[in-house]
Amino acid sequence: MAGGWIGKGATVDKKSDSLAQVALDAGKAGKLLSCRELVKAYGEGPPALAGVSFQMDAPGFTVLLGSSGSGKTTLLRAIAGLVPLESGEIQVAGRTMTRTNLSSVRRQLGMVHQEFALVERLTSVQNVLSGAATQVSWPRIVCQAYPEELRRRACQLLADVGLTEAQANRKARELSGGQRQRVGIARALIRKPKLFLADEPVANLDPETAAGLLTLLREAVTSRGIGVLCSLHQTDLALRYADRIIGLKAGRIVFDGAPDAFTPSVASTLFARDGAPHALTVAAA
Amino acid sequence: MSVQVLGDRAGSHDRPPEAWRLKPVFDARAVILAGLAVVLLAFSAQRLDLGQMFSDVGSFILASAGLKERSDIGDGLSGLSAGMFPIVIDERTPVEFVDDLDARLAAPFARLETVATEEIALDTNTLEMSGNMGERTYLVEPAGYLLFVLLKMLETFEIAAWATLFAVAVSLPLSVLCARNYAPHVSIYGAGRTFVSFLRSVPELISALFLVLAFGFGPIPGIVALAIHSTGFLAKFFAEDIEAADPRPQEAIAVTGASRFAVLRLAVLPSVLASFTGLSLYILDRNVRMATVIGLVGAGGIGQELKGRFDMFQYDRVGTLLLVIFLTVLLLDALSARIRRRLI
Repeated sequence: MAGGWIGKGATVDKKSDSLAQVALDAGKAGKLLSCRELVKAYGEGPPALAGVSFQMDAPGFTVLLGSSGSGKTTLLRAIAGLVPLESGEIQVAGRTMTRTNLSSVRRQLGMVHQEFALVERLTSVQNVLSGAATQVSWPRIVCQAYPEELRRRACQLLADVGLTEAQANRKARELSGGQRQRVGIARALIRKPKLFLADEPVANLDPETAAGLLTLLREAVTSRGIGVLCSLHQTDLALRYADRIIGLKAGRIVFDGAPDAFTPSVASTLFARDGAPHALTVAAA
Repeated sequence: MSVQVLGDRAGSHDRPPEAWRLKPVFDARAVILAGLAVVLLAFSAQRLDLGQMFSDVGSFILASAGLKERSDIGDGLSGLSAGMFPIVIDERTPVEFVDDLDARLAAPFARLETVATEEIALDTNTLEMSGNMGERTYLVEPAGYLLFVLLKMLETFEIAAWATLFAVAVSLPLSVLCARNYAPHVSIYGAGRTFVSFLRSVPELISALFLVLAFGFGPIPGIVALAIHSTGFLAKFFAEDIEAADPRPQEAIAVTGASRFAVLRLAVLPSVLASFTGLSLYILDRNVRMATVIGLVGAGGIGQELKGRFDMFQYDRVGTLLLVIFLTVLLLDALSARIRRRLI
């Protein structure tokens, strides 16, 4: 699938050192990600997040599993600072996210989106490089003249996710869904994030492309020592790729554990529709 | 409240399809509004004496068809067209008014023409009118006036191009302040929008009238007047494009911790660039048309020439001017439409 992750082994140890340091700073908080009592409501309907608390201590592939409307996207967007919360606290790499330090906390994050969220009129490589805007001075941003080192890195990342030179120079709108999502992954990796958020990264892809992409994502992040929080709605994919599964239903965590503990009965509870009143209230909202 | 909605839904489920009540295409409000509009229009038509217009046009149509002897419109138009055609292409200047005669004679096809003239003057000795035979030499440049008009048209185009350039340069930053999702503060957004609609609300012809007083006759007041007005348009349209741009790539870049400026440059600008270019081209196209008009108040270009010739009753030259304007606008319209189609 992807080529080897050349020369990345050494950085893993350094990463865990810095993670340990961060953990010391953070005291009893989670090392990588800590969410406490997150509450978010849209309008008058039932809350999208009704008090979600969990921690991610170490790098690994954590899957957020749940049906549509269970609050997965809202949770990921909240962690990325894209959704203002009613209450609750988010710590990324030991730092509490506030309105003022949003930008610096976000530098620890990489994110891929369900709709790929690429700039259609830019080439793949320009899209990947746009992820590194924080490392580039503004005159360079204006001219889109990225330093040679970053450009090399972007090319390497695109090769790692399986794109060719020709595809690297193609505009995003000319790529297939799978190729776009690969560009999205490369864009999220270019800044060497500590935590990788993936919002239904394979929802718009066919099953085979989806499996290939998740293998790639898993390889990419584990070899770099990055923690992944990936939302999915397919139980089979979650069981195949996850180190840990967090089951989300109506804005609450109803399951949190290893894939082994995720029994069919848990699955049926997680995906069971509630009684008619709930469904109808959602429709009314 | 949600219970109310539930009840309504349950009710509609109960009715069989043949008993479903559908929304009327025109409701009572639409009918009342249409009636009100008719009353207002009738009142206004009576105030403006629109009946006269209909009777004039009617008699013109009848006269054209030979069913009526004459019509007011026909008389006016035939007088004008008799004055306008043939249009003036060449330029004849008495040699005594030409400074650099040798240089102008060196131009291709330029020649001297001598015409016998008879000047009637009062003989001071006999106190009678008598004709003095004489001759006058003219410098004839066969395409002289056409070239002059084309040069004026070029000046008009230059006025429009500079005005558009200034408008784009000012509108780009201004539109960011006027876009709801990028304005630094809601008060700046409000102030920006107000300022931009103020710029838009002053017609070019009016502002040019005053700017001619400030800058003097010539192309500069024209450029400023057009730039002000087109900034009002462009900033508004640019801002609306920015607001409507796909938010997902913007979020994707913002999530990396990038500044708003970086997001604007890397996600917003590439998405809206084609639309910006199309709008700017449209404004250029429009500015060329407006630049011919504001010349009427002395703000340079072909309009100034047009007004001068019109006031001197030289309708044959006016004909040349109108023809050149008409052809230029037609050409530009086709050209900019083609470029915009390729962009979008």
